[in-house]
Order: sequence, then C-alpha cells, then structure tokens
Amino acid sequence: MITIEKLNTFGANTAEGLARCFGNEALYLKLVATIPGEANFDKLKDSLAAKDLKAAFEAAHALKGVLGNLSLTPLYTKVAEITELLRSGTDMDYSSLLADILDKKEVLGGLCKD
Amino acid sequence: MKKLRQTTTVKRHVLIVDDEVVNREILGNILSVKYDVEYADNAKEALEALSRQDKQFALILLDLLMPVMDGFEFLKKRETSEPLKRIPVIVMTSEKESEVRSLKLGAADFITKPFDMPEVLLARCDRIVELYEDQDIIRQTERDHVSGLYTKDYFFEYIRQIELWSRDIPRDAIVFDIEQFHLVNEFCGRDFGDHLLAEIGSALQKELAPMNAIACRADADTFYIFATHQESYDSIRNIVQGILTDFFEVNHIRVRFGLWENVDRNVEIEAWFDRAKAACDKNRGDLTQSFTRYNNEMHARYMFEETLIRDLQSAIDNRDLIVYYQPKYNIEGDIPRLTSAEALIRWMHPTLGFINPGDFVPLFEGNGLIQKVDNFVWNEVAKQIRKWKEAYGITVPVSVNVSRIDILDPELETKLMQLLEENGLSPEEYMLEVTESAYCENMERLIEVIENLRKKGFRIEMDDFGSGYSSLNMITTLPIDILKIDMSFVRNMEKDERNLKLVELVAGIAKFLKIPAVAEGVETESQLKTLKDMGCQIIQGYYFSKPVPPKDFETFIEKELERRRNL
Repeated sequence: MITIEKLNTFGANTAEGLARCFGNEALYLKLVATIPGEANFDKLKDSLAAKDLKAAFEAAHALKGVLGNLSLTPLYTKVAEITELLRSGTDMDYSSLLADILDKKEVLGGLCKD
Repeated sequence: MKKLRQTTTVKRHVLIVDDEVVNREILGNILSVKYDVEYADNAKEALEALSRQDKQFALILLDLLMPVMDGFEFLKKRETSEPLKRIPVIVMTSEKESEVRSLKLGAADFITKPFDMPEVLLARCDRIVELYEDQDIIRQTERDHVSGLYTKDYFFEYIRQIELWSRDIPRDAIVFDIEQFHLVNEFCGRDFGDHLLAEIGSALQKELAPMNAIACRADADTFYIFATHQESYDSIRNIVQGILTDFFEVNHIRVRFGLWENVDRNVEIEAWFDRAKAACDKNRGDLTQSFTRYNNEMHARYMFEETLIRDLQSAIDNRDLIVYYQPKYNIEGDIPRLTSAEALIRWMHPTLGFINPGDFVPLFEGNGLIQKVDNFVWNEVAKQIRKWKEAYGITVPVSVNVSRIDILDPELETKLMQLLEENGLSPEEYMLEVTESAYCENMERLIEVIENLRKKGFRIEMDDFGSGYSSLNMITTLPIDILKIDMSFVRNMEKDERNLKLVELVAGIAKFLKIPAVAEGVETESQLKTLKDMGCQIIQGYYFSKPVPPKDFETFIEKELERRRNL
C-alpha cells in the first residue's frame, strides 16, 4: 500500500500534493494509486512505436496534467519534457526518454503494491 | 451590506468537465466545500447535463483536450446559445496559447494545470460566479421592457461611467417625444402604443450603435439620447418619423426633438436632459421645425425657473410669499355689497424682486410644488378670516385655489378641516375654487372629493368657466355652488360679440342651475352695467379694487360696516 513516506522517498512533493487535495490524505493516496494503471502510459508507448506523434502528444499532455496535480515530481518532470518535444513535433528517438518514464512508473507501481 | 447570496446556505451547482479522473476528483474535492459538484467526461456529456431542465448551473470548469468532444468545440457551441452564454466557463489549461484562444471564445477565466492552491482556486471561482450573477441582474433590470432601451436610472449611470474617462469629448443631450402620444394609447389601445414604442426602441438601437451613442425611454413616449457631438441628427429624426408615418399612414403625428449641443460638464448630468427637454417642450405645436436647440434665451428661462424651484421653501419660511385679497361685490341692489374675497398669491423675491404669479403658478402646477403654495395660502387665509372676524365681528369668506394635485391628496379634507378648527372657523366661511379643466380631466375622482367637501359645508366655485370643455350634460350634474366666468370673456366682451354671447350663455347657465355667477376681470362701469343687465350677481375686478395686502383690505370691510350701519 502506498504511503506518504514511500512517496517522499520516491521524490514526490507530497506537501504540495496534499495541499492541493485540501489535506485529504486518503483521497491523495487513492488518486496516486491509480497512476500505475493509467492507460495513457500505454497509449504513449504504442503511439511512439507507431510514430503517431499527435496521439503520443495527447497521451503525454493528459499525463502531464494528472502527474502535476499529484506533484509526482520525478515522473512529472520527464513527462513534461516529452510533452514539449512532442508538441513541437520534434523528430527524434524517444525510446530512452520513454524508458525512463516507464521505469519510474514501474517504481511507483512497486511502491503501491508493497 | 452583506449580500443575501453570501449568507444563503443553498449550494450552487458547478459542472466539472474533464476526462481525467484524477483532475476531476481533486477539483471536485476543492469545490465541494462551497458548491454542489457534478461531473462530465467530455464536452458532449456536458452539453447533455446542461440541457436538463431540472438543474441550473452557476459555473462550468472545462478541460480543453478531451475525447469525443473537446473544450474548444464546446465553447463554440456555447457562443450560439443564449442560455449557455449566461453560465460562465473557466477553462483548465497548461498552455498559454490555449488561454488566449479560449478567452476569445468567451471563457470568463482560466486556471492552469497543475492547479493552484485550493484557496486561490475557490476564490477565483467565487469571483466569476458573483460577477456573472451581478451581470445577469443588471441585464435583467437595465432595459425597459417596452422599448428594449436602457431604463432612465441605468442610462444616467452609464453616462457617469462614460464621463469618467472621456470628459473632454464634446457630447450632446437629445430628448424627443411624440406629440399627442396619449391619444395614440387612447384611440388605438395600449398594445398598439407599446408596439410603436418597441419599434422606435429597436430602430434607435440599430442606428445609435455605430454613432457611439446610448438611449433610454425616460417616460411614456419621451426618449433620451446621449451622443458624441455631430452636426446633424436628421437620420434619427427621419427614422423615427418614418416609423410614425408607417404606423399611422398619416403625416401629421409628429416627433419633436430638443437638443443641447456640447453639454456643459459643470452641470449635473440629469440637468443636461432637463435642458434638452425644455428645448423639446418649446417645440410644442410649432410645425415649422422638428429640432429645437437649447439656447441663451431658454437657458435664462430655465435658470429662472430653477431658482424659483430652489427658493420656494425659503420663500414660505421667510414669508416672501404674501397673500393678497381682491374683494368681490354683490351688485344686485343699488349699492354694491362686499360679499367675499379671493386670495391671490404674490412673491416678493429678495433678489429677483416681484415675481408675476403667471411665472411661477403654471411652473409649480407642472411639477406638483403648487401643493406647497396652496397649503401655505390655505393656512394664511384661515388665520386672516379669523383676525378680521375678531377685529370687526363679521366674516369675510375668502375663496382659495384648490389645484388638480390637491384633489388627489387623500389628506385634503383632513387638512382643510384641521386648519378651520385651529382658527375656530366653519366650512361655510371658507370657499374653494376649482378650475373647470380639472373637472374635465379627472371627473369621477373630483366629483367624489367635491361632494364630500360640500357635505362638510364648504362652498365650491368653478373657476375659469367657459375656458374648458365641459359638456352641457355634465354641467347639470356637477356639484358646484358658484360659477366664475372666465376673465378673458369679460375683458373682451365689449370688443367682440362672440365673447359677449359667451358671457350671456354662462350667466344663463348659472341662472338655470340656480347658483350665482361671478364675473372676474371687471374694469369699467359699462362692463359692470352690461353684466348687471345679464343678471350676473357678483363682480370682481379692478373696477372695485386690484388685489391688495390684508391691511389695505380692511378699508373695504370698514366701508361695508358703514354701509350696513346706514341701512
């Protein structure tokens, strides 16, 4: 089960995330626990594989909003980075950036399961 | 004062439109503190929720990028729907470009993602809800429902706003009205009249928009326009006159305009339009021109009248208003007998000198201030009758004027009875003059009031008889005790046969009604003889005396006493 301590070790700005939830810890943790199952991670991966940068941007953009609101800083920073690159349609190899994002998602997923 | 809506416990409904559960829930958690929150997954669902009649939403929080239907599409649809446009939309975005685009599409505000702190977010939502509710109240109340133009209060308020930032731009005040409009309502019905006013209102709105001008319907058929100065307003006149001609298929129902160009900013806004209206009124009956400009002569008159209005109360307090008395004589026997007097008001103004009653009586009749003058006169007269009664042991009944507005005063009878009681007088010692035209205007009410006063014992004189429009049938049923023949007929009866016939006719009517006829304005011996031959019993005029102050009137009482002693 995810806890504030675990999220702090992950690098999340939990004080900010909690404040945004009006101090409602149960709500905050419940919402954080939905992130590893967030469908947009798969959509991002599949769209990049299919070189569909528009669909990839939409997925990244949606993730960016959600991660930002929960202040999951390590994931948010990377997703914000890929969103801006995709917004401008940058033709590049996204695999390492994507891998980094998916790794961090897995770490968060592990914290949620433990 | 704390607004009612801030104290109410009823929560307003807010719709959050976002496809991301996390965003929805965070926002919902914040807003549910003060609002009843509903959610929609995308803009299509939002439109469905908004189309339900059971719930009125106070605010929409809208994500922009969503599946099925995005936020921009929603904003475009909203622009075409009046009910939706009344609900403010706050857009949620993380892109600068989207902020501008959504504001251009009618969004009230935006909040950025990640969301700001909850307190800030709530405050922004509250602000927008309040702003839109205020706007809605203004929208509902600022317009006159008949013409669609501003109401007078809002019109002046908008001018005040405009004037805050553009006092150096020359502007004009325009007033126009439709001559004899009351006849339109009377003959064609109120619906027809309202339809006409609505047509004028809608034409004005179209015409004035590009002219940088605003308008209101100030009263009945009177319209005010405030415009950046222009050389000519012929286009407006032609449009309004065109509507009138179309409506009536005739050319003689006329619109008349009063204009004060380049208004003086040192004068109050309301006065700009009073002056334009004075110019408009000046235009009455003048078919040679439809536009009258407020000029120096009118200004002098306007300022004079304003001074009189301003100084009336102090004139009463300082006794600058003085009651004069003109004797009335019964000429039935060989020697005329003093029967009564008429009270006439005079004004000795401290700076303007003697003011002709013709200058202030019609003015105060028009604005209702005549009631103050009348009440003052009634009191003065009651005191005077008592003083003479105490000094000479006889009553000289005095007639006082009762204006149209007094008739509508529910306290009239009480006021009169009270002042008689204070002075130990009975109603028989006090006479009331009501002008004939008042009978014609408000007959039922007037007859009721007069009947009551007569039952109390007051005697009623019908003043200026012959100048109004009484029908012969009406005359026989009127509750009156004395007929006063209009002064102008008496003055002209020796010069003009028709006036002589009219005097004869009125004297005949009085005889038929078995009441005395009073002739006013009698100046010569030959007039007196003519009137006596006609059977006119009572004479008032310069032949006997001009109106005089109370002290001078005592001579007439003393002479009357002497006449009685010599009988």
